[in-house]
Amino acid sequence: MAATKKDRLFLMALLAPTILIMLVVVAYPFFENVRISLSNMNIYHIRDWEVIGFQQYAAVFAEPRFWNILMKTFLWTGVNIVFHVTLGVFLAVILHQNFVVGKPAWRILLILPWALPQYITALTWRGMFNYEYGAINRVLTRYLNLPAVEWLTSPFEAFLAVILTNIWLGFPFMMVVALGALQSVPSELYEAAEVDGASKWSQFWNVTVPLLKPAMIPAITLGMIWTFNNINVVWLVSNGGEPNDQTHILVSFVYEAAFSMYRFGWAAALSMVIFVILFTFTQIFLNRTKATESVY
Amino acid sequence: MRIRIWHQKNDAERDFFNDAVAAYNAAHPDRYVEALYKETEELRNLFIVASVGGKGPELVYGPADNLSIFALTESIQPIDGVLSEDYLAQFNADGVISWREKPWMIADQVGNHLTFVYNKEMMPEPPATTDEMIEMLQALTKDVDGDGNIDQYGLTWNYVEPFFFMPFLTGYGGWVMDEAGNPTLDNAATVNAIQFILDLRDKYKVIPRESDYNIAETLFKERRAAAIINGPWAWAGYGEAGIDYGLARLPVMSATGKWTAPLVSSKGYSVNINVDSEKMPYVQEVLEFLTNAEMQADMARNIASIPTIDTVRQDSVIQANVVLRSSLHQVEVGLPMPIEPQMRQIWDGMRGPYQLIMNGASTAAEGAKLMQDEVEKRIADTFL
Repeated sequence: MAATKKDRLFLMALLAPTILIMLVVVAYPFFENVRISLSNMNIYHIRDWEVIGFQQYAAVFAEPRFWNILMKTFLWTGVNIVFHVTLGVFLAVILHQNFVVGKPAWRILLILPWALPQYITALTWRGMFNYEYGAINRVLTRYLNLPAVEWLTSPFEAFLAVILTNIWLGFPFMMVVALGALQSVPSELYEAAEVDGASKWSQFWNVTVPLLKPAMIPAITLGMIWTFNNINVVWLVSNGGEPNDQTHILVSFVYEAAFSMYRFGWAAALSMVIFVILFTFTQIFLNRTKATESVY
Repeated sequence: MRIRIWHQKNDAERDFFNDAVAAYNAAHPDRYVEALYKETEELRNLFIVASVGGKGPELVYGPADNLSIFALTESIQPIDGVLSEDYLAQFNADGVISWREKPWMIADQVGNHLTFVYNKEMMPEPPATTDEMIEMLQALTKDVDGDGNIDQYGLTWNYVEPFFFMPFLTGYGGWVMDEAGNPTLDNAATVNAIQFILDLRDKYKVIPRESDYNIAETLFKERRAAAIINGPWAWAGYGEAGIDYGLARLPVMSATGKWTAPLVSSKGYSVNINVDSEKMPYVQEVLEFLTNAEMQADMARNIASIPTIDTVRQDSVIQANVVLRSSLHQVEVGLPMPIEPQMRQIWDGMRGPYQLIMNGASTAAEGAKLMQDEVEKRIADTFL
């Protein structure tokens, strides 16, 4: 039955508040950012700025550090997601087994890194990475007879330290999603697989993984966007990109440009570049994995 | 009527300030002063953003080096339009801070200066020269339990931060910029100052291998370091930690005969440009309450801040305060912090190369050149 004009008006009235809020909190800031990215807004032109075209975009791509940081951001996102998913699914599968004793306690313990405020965890890890007094080097030198590592002062090790912290912070989310999805897998499927003589490994690949996919792909997509833009961990563990700006990812580089150097136009242009990268990447990823198809 | 103040006062200073604001509110039921603490960087950035957007607190409190950025962004208004000439006349040159020939800030204290702080139980007398200091630090750096690890250092400080590097740069006769605001970092003074700190760490091994602000504070408070280089914001905390501490001038650099002079800057209040005429009399009254001679004397007695009104500074009760006297003694040989906007790029541009040197990726000479190049690039970038 076709909707009447009255029905359509009623529907519009119901949607109007949401549309209004989306316009105010999403559309307006987005288009304002586009406008600033085309301007010369900086500390010297914060009140009298004007649109200058695509100069800031050209400056972003001409910045030598941009390409290096872009590659690092891809590496940061990729490594984190691989470990988040692998660890998360692994722990979820273990926790799903009947033989595990004290499941509720294990669940709480494993969710803790996610439940604690991120800045507290990040600063705690920063302390643990201290060369002389940090717990990690103490374990390495005292109990494993290995040399102490300059976690926070050498570029490679500092980047590794930031990644390790973020892996610790990120796996519980994937574990919770995977655990939820596993609860809905019918046990008959495993019983049928066993009758067919499938090994545990074969059951995992042919039953568990396909059934986890509808839940995991959206979670991975979200995880990629979060990780790509996760300034908190990078900023707090590496103290704002230290040493020598070697641990920046794109979003912390934007923050530094905007709030340390007051290059608002340039920072807005780089923000738009980040948006385009993420948008394109997400679209390709969702299309390739056909993640949304299995939901319907 | 609500008057908001954003500030970056820490520890004992913040407690004193909150008590003063509470006393003011109790005495004035028709208005309410709201004090909100923010970290220094956050305070500066958020204030600019808020003020440019037509909002923000009526008053902002912080170090004088924020001034040029606030003035440049037209976030604040000249202070002589708020306070009378007679009122301003009480203050010395440290109290009314100008930039480009306009007064922008009324300061209630001089400070922000680094000083040599020592634990009297571990180090009865402070060193007068850096040679003497090295000798003392070597005796005080110990592996107490014989496990091959050092348990007690002679000295610690946040030596990875350029602000804390400044005394050593000035000790070798260096400075960060010329009169035109151009960086002056690629020279022998910078190289020698860096090498001096590297030697303390790697040759004499009298400072920790890695030390940021928190580590340095912890080591000193836990008596695992005999001395620390830190500013007035931290001293009261050492007393609270039960340390019998003394303050002394940072020692004379033996190689040059110059003082290892810290930067000295005033701290005070500026008025948001968006304050309207209806609120201005209240803002003026609050400002006078927070900066007047009586308040400065209370601050000096309670938190050992250095007053900006000379009659208060010369008060015999205040002169008898040993912490304050030592603090003034250090200020006498300090150097004024430049308030030009380029300082932002200088701090940020120095930090990275300085860290490369500290982790051995660059030599001191390469680092000095990198600092110069990086600061020049950052200044140029800011103009696009």
